[in-house]
Amino acid sequence: MAMQPHSKKRVCYYYDSDIGNYYYGQGHPMKPHRIRMTHNLLLNYGLYRKMEIYRPHKATADEMTKFHSDDYIRFLRSIRPDNMSEYNKQMQRFNVGEDCPVFDGLYEFCQLSAGGSVAAAVKLNKQASEICINWGGGLHHAKKSEASGFCYVNDIVLGILELLKYHQRVLYIDIDVHHGDGVEEAFYTTDRVMTVSFHKYGEYFPGTGDLRDIGAGKGKYYAVNIPLRDGMDDESYESIFVPIISKVMETFQPSAVVLQCGADSLTGDRLGCFNLTVRGHGRCVELVKRFGLPFLLVGGGGYTIRNVSRCWTYETSVALGVEIANELPYNDYFEYFGPDFKLHISPSNMSNQNTPEYLEKIKNRLFENLRMLPHAPGVQVQAIPEDAVNDESEDEDKVDKDERLPQSEKDKRITGDGELSDSEDEGEGGRRDNRSYRNNPQPRKRPRLDKDPAQPKDDIKNEDSKDEVKNLSGVEEPKKELPPNP
Amino acid sequence: MAANMYRVGDCVYFETSSTSPYQIRRIEELNKTTSGNVEAKVMCFYRRRDLPNPLIQLADKHQMAQSEDSPVAMKLKKICLKTPVGEEQAAQAVLDPALAAMEEESTELPGTDGLAPKQRHQAKHRELFLSRHVETLPATHIRGKCTVTLLNETESLLSYLNKDDAFFYCLVFDPSQKTLLADKGEIRVGSRYQTEVTNLLKEGEEDPRNSEQLETLVWTPSHGLSDRQIDQFLVVSRSVGTFARALDCSSSVKQPSLHMSAAAASRDITLFHAMDTLHKSGYSIEAALSSLVPASGPVLCRDEMEEWSASEANLFEEALNKYGKDFTDIRQDFLPWKTLKNLVEYYYMWKTTDRYVQQKRVKAVEAESKLKQVYIPNYNKPNPALIASSGTVGGGAAGAGAAAGAAKAAAVLNGGTNGTAACNNQQICASCQVSNSNHWYTWGPQHLQYRLCGSCWQYWKKYGGLKTAGVFGESEVEASKGPREGEEGALSVSHRPHRCTVLNCAKEFKLRAHLARHVATAHGCGEGGARPVMKTRAAFYLRASPFTRLARRLTRALRRPRHYARSPFSPINLAQVKHECSIAMAGLGGAELRAAGAGGGGVARARGPVGAVAARLASARGSPVAGGRAHEWLQLTPKDRLPVPAHVAFPKPPKAPDGSLMYERVLSRAELEARRAEAAPAPSLKRRAYDDINGLDNMSAGCGAGVALGAAAGAAEAGLAPPPAKRPNKHPAPMQRPSREQFAAMCAKAQATGQPLPPHVFAHVNGKPTNISGRGGRRHVISWMDAPDDLYFRATENAKAARRTLSCGELRRGARAPWRAMRGGISGAHGGVGAGGMGGASAKGGVGGAGGAPLQLVILD
Ligand SMILES: [Zn+2]
Ligand SMILES: [Zn+2]
Ligand SMILES: [Zn+2]
Repeated sequence: MAMQPHSKKRVCYYYDSDIGNYYYGQGHPMKPHRIRMTHNLLLNYGLYRKMEIYRPHKATADEMTKFHSDDYIRFLRSIRPDNMSEYNKQMQRFNVGEDCPVFDGLYEFCQLSAGGSVAAAVKLNKQASEICINWGGGLHHAKKSEASGFCYVNDIVLGILELLKYHQRVLYIDIDVHHGDGVEEAFYTTDRVMTVSFHKYGEYFPGTGDLRDIGAGKGKYYAVNIPLRDGMDDESYESIFVPIISKVMETFQPSAVVLQCGADSLTGDRLGCFNLTVRGHGRCVELVKRFGLPFLLVGGGGYTIRNVSRCWTYETSVALGVEIANELPYNDYFEYFGPDFKLHISPSNMSNQNTPEYLEKIKNRLFENLRMLPHAPGVQVQAIPEDAVNDESEDEDKVDKDERLPQSEKDKRITGDGELSDSEDEGEGGRRDNRSYRNNPQPRKRPRLDKDPAQPKDDIKNEDSKDEVKNLSGVEEPKKELPPNP
Repeated sequence: MAANMYRVGDCVYFETSSTSPYQIRRIEELNKTTSGNVEAKVMCFYRRRDLPNPLIQLADKHQMAQSEDSPVAMKLKKICLKTPVGEEQAAQAVLDPALAAMEEESTELPGTDGLAPKQRHQAKHRELFLSRHVETLPATHIRGKCTVTLLNETESLLSYLNKDDAFFYCLVFDPSQKTLLADKGEIRVGSRYQTEVTNLLKEGEEDPRNSEQLETLVWTPSHGLSDRQIDQFLVVSRSVGTFARALDCSSSVKQPSLHMSAAAASRDITLFHAMDTLHKSGYSIEAALSSLVPASGPVLCRDEMEEWSASEANLFEEALNKYGKDFTDIRQDFLPWKTLKNLVEYYYMWKTTDRYVQQKRVKAVEAESKLKQVYIPNYNKPNPALIASSGTVGGGAAGAGAAAGAAKAAAVLNGGTNGTAACNNQQICASCQVSNSNHWYTWGPQHLQYRLCGSCWQYWKKYGGLKTAGVFGESEVEASKGPREGEEGALSVSHRPHRCTVLNCAKEFKLRAHLARHVATAHGCGEGGARPVMKTRAAFYLRASPFTRLARRLTRALRRPRHYARSPFSPINLAQVKHECSIAMAGLGGAELRAAGAGGGGVARARGPVGAVAARLASARGSPVAGGRAHEWLQLTPKDRLPVPAHVAFPKPPKAPDGSLMYERVLSRAELEARRAEAAPAPSLKRRAYDDINGLDNMSAGCGAGVALGAAAGAAEAGLAPPPAKRPNKHPAPMQRPSREQFAAMCAKAQATGQPLPPHVFAHVNGKPTNISGRGGRRHVISWMDAPDDLYFRATENAKAARRTLSCGELRRGARAPWRAMRGGISGAHGGVGAGGMGGASAKGGVGGAGGAPLQLVILD
């Protein structure tokens, strides 16, 4: 059955059938094959036919150097396993060799991964889709001139840079068990991208992501780090994820979201130490999706590949708003999922070192930081264009009050496809986001408040205008600071 | 029940000495040994009391700096964050006037605001220091769980004090370098790190991006087909595929039955192709159908799994066995007509086959020795420090310990007991000063005769201090620390610096570990200068005293030397030995005794000068010797007439004042042990750990057997540390520099086992996790103890028969020099003889050389 254009989210999915055949090397935990396993599950679950499937282009060096340094990309382009010896010095400089080995087709692999995320971002910019998925992306450790943690080219940064053309503020959320240091570092000094990372902290790769790391310069308070301890389970995770993300949405008011879905935070991951189930992990996708913003989902870590493909399959279904059976369909890699051949996994009995008190304290400290944010940063005063007003009704269904997130679950089930019904969230309307373009005949209408003809540099914040902006956009000081903690 | 299940990743108390506090470790691995015991590979946390003094002060200040943002605090933070801080620097930093001032301005620890002095004192017991030091301990020494978490600034220390068994850490301690650093990475700021942020498009500005160039649509959900229609089309395409296989000759060979063809036609590649076909045909079923059956015949989609012939599959399996998953090599040497992508795709599909599943089952059996969790029941044996009301516990524990080693150990453990009996009365707890308690424990230096009440004893064991900071508390801790440090100091002073042997470098280092690190980092190799010195753990030998030898000869109980040599663990009735000895010796005079004892050759037999021997031999063979004198050429040249070489290649070392030659000292095993133990606290305590393996404080049984061959007794007498449970270094030095082939073998081995080669050991920089693949870079933390399990030689009937053909002398020689080749044809037995002959030593050390494999390979293993 074809999807009703408006009843469900339009989901675009990026995949290249070559991706599974790149091989990091013997004994290396990173296995691109997991992306192919996901893909085959999607086909056999019948999710494939519900999405737009795209084969991404190979990102060019030009595209990659939007973030990365020229010499680093040049290096990646020229290095091969058979000429490695000529590049000893550069390999050290760019941290290529051990964790980030030189393998056959390395550059192509980076091109596909980055190509997918960039194409997805452009797709969102063109409003040709509401949710884009690139499980081949999410390589969040890559730095401007340095490979790190199995990541060479930071497709996320490239994607966000693309989104920034149309979106004044972009929110990045990272639920990989590792800190999303590459993305955080890239945007450490800007207030247009807020990076929020939930990760294991303390004697753990990459060693960054302390609660006290909050950004620098103009970007101060725009980096949010949630340091966690071993054994995070679904319940604890949601108890910190929901309030933090709600608060971030409320204070930062992004107009697009990128979610890195690193699956190494799942229970039993070869490198991870959390205890999340596929459901708990997917819950994050669901919660973010509810905000109804243009949404880019990328992959990331995940080293117990059967669980990675379970997780990303489930999350694709969540993005689509389709329920899928717990029984896994037969597919080429069916045997990988034994002995139970089920979609969902059980948590282990490992102890959770994140006590409710600890999480509460972390949360409170982060709330204090978020309170330092000027509401609606980087927005200039200007007249509201006429066409914006029509969209009020449309706006309503994207708005979500934090407290309601857990409860609205039921409603969601009733509506059946993950779309919030119009009845929700009344009274909270007027969140200033740029969803207004949806009904606009002009396909490339940009958020009205983000434009300032007088000022080409849009990211310069106008302090004086803060209050006005708030009123204009209809956002009020939140009445309740702390949502109830389940 | 759950409380006694210990999982990998748990933090636990380990008891390695009955009198000192527990050690706090995190379980990294649980391995079942061949003997059925469980060994835990653990990561060490250090307590404050384990740190050198200057570092403790630095740690205090670092804590202060955490809570403050004064410039001085920032300075200190930087010191700690960027580079590891060594002892000297720490001492200097502590002396830094600015920092000293800071101490004055706030004498309180952060997070301790509002804590009572007593709580502040106890908070110090809860602080640990993480290390990357890994060791192996018997799991039976586990004494309970605890939690260790990275202190978060939002937490108050009180939250730890209020919880039992809760510890925190902030800093990382490197025991070998004696440095501290904060476990924290850094987000760098600057144009080299941040991205340039794209500007918003301006009104009317064109976005150069064009989706058509960025992506190709492969499928869209907006088509007129229903789910049912798509499913039908999928079935049709599978049917076409089945039919196509029937027509295809190569397929019909591979898939003799219709079922198999249908299964092959149902693989995902057919489905993906069907979807593609639908899309390309504009979602018209008709058009799609006709393109499934073009004029050339029905479409046949085959993936790698099907594409490969049986012989290719066999080749692949063979190659996997040989090269592991190195597909580049496999392609080169086995399947050059395939592409790398073919191989990878095939590999992942091959993993779903029965053949792989079978292989996996074999592996699973092998992996059974790796445990996820282990059940350790509560430990109920009374601590030797427990003061029994009767005051005679000491005797009991020493009990059967007639063996010298056991007796000595017991004496140490029970030393305090005898004293307390005398002044049993009116004593109070050294910590809380109560005078009433169900149990009392002796504590502290023996001469001080302190005792602790039951609850303070528990506290001491868990938290390594006394509840109150009294005169007692601090002084004892210092006192018990003092001598240990002194010992280490003395050792390191007595050694020459270690010099790098790499050409044109010759840097000197105080510690061998530093040298090793230098060689690894500066010269990028673990070979050469930094070759590990340690041997496998069997490196102690029995030097039988004349008395032992005498006993061997005199007593019937020891008449089966071969038997005992082969089973060094079987006990020998010592009482009987003594008894027989005394009877036999009663009838012998001193000279006779000496004669009997010397029979084995304790004293070199006087054979005379070589000339005389030659003459004797000559006459024995019947050749006449002129005048009973040796030939001219057999006469030794007088020293003063020896020719003097123009160039002395190996000059003699300088002479010491007493006339002896000063050779560069070769470290004895004991010194090495102590060296190594420097890295870990309380070496003496460690040592005992091996004695009371499985939690037995009483080691008479084990020692009895040892003494039978005099092994343990000998070792104890010589003051040698008993061998560590595992080989101290996993990359022990081969006898010589490894040959090319051997080196290649090592590499292959390392790759096969997934373990890095020696240089990688040093790859972690500044103790920071630089590596994602191990949790927190642990992949680089190589256990010193992590050696493969021991081998032992199990003599087959053939071997035994071969052994029987050997003369007694040959046997002995073989036993003493197990690496030497023996008479042809019995080399297989040789290893066994060696193992047997070396008795306790080799059986423990496991130099078996099963089947007479070359010894070097055994070591490389
Ligand atoms: Zn990760
Ligand atoms: Zn007491
Ligand atoms: Zn050197």
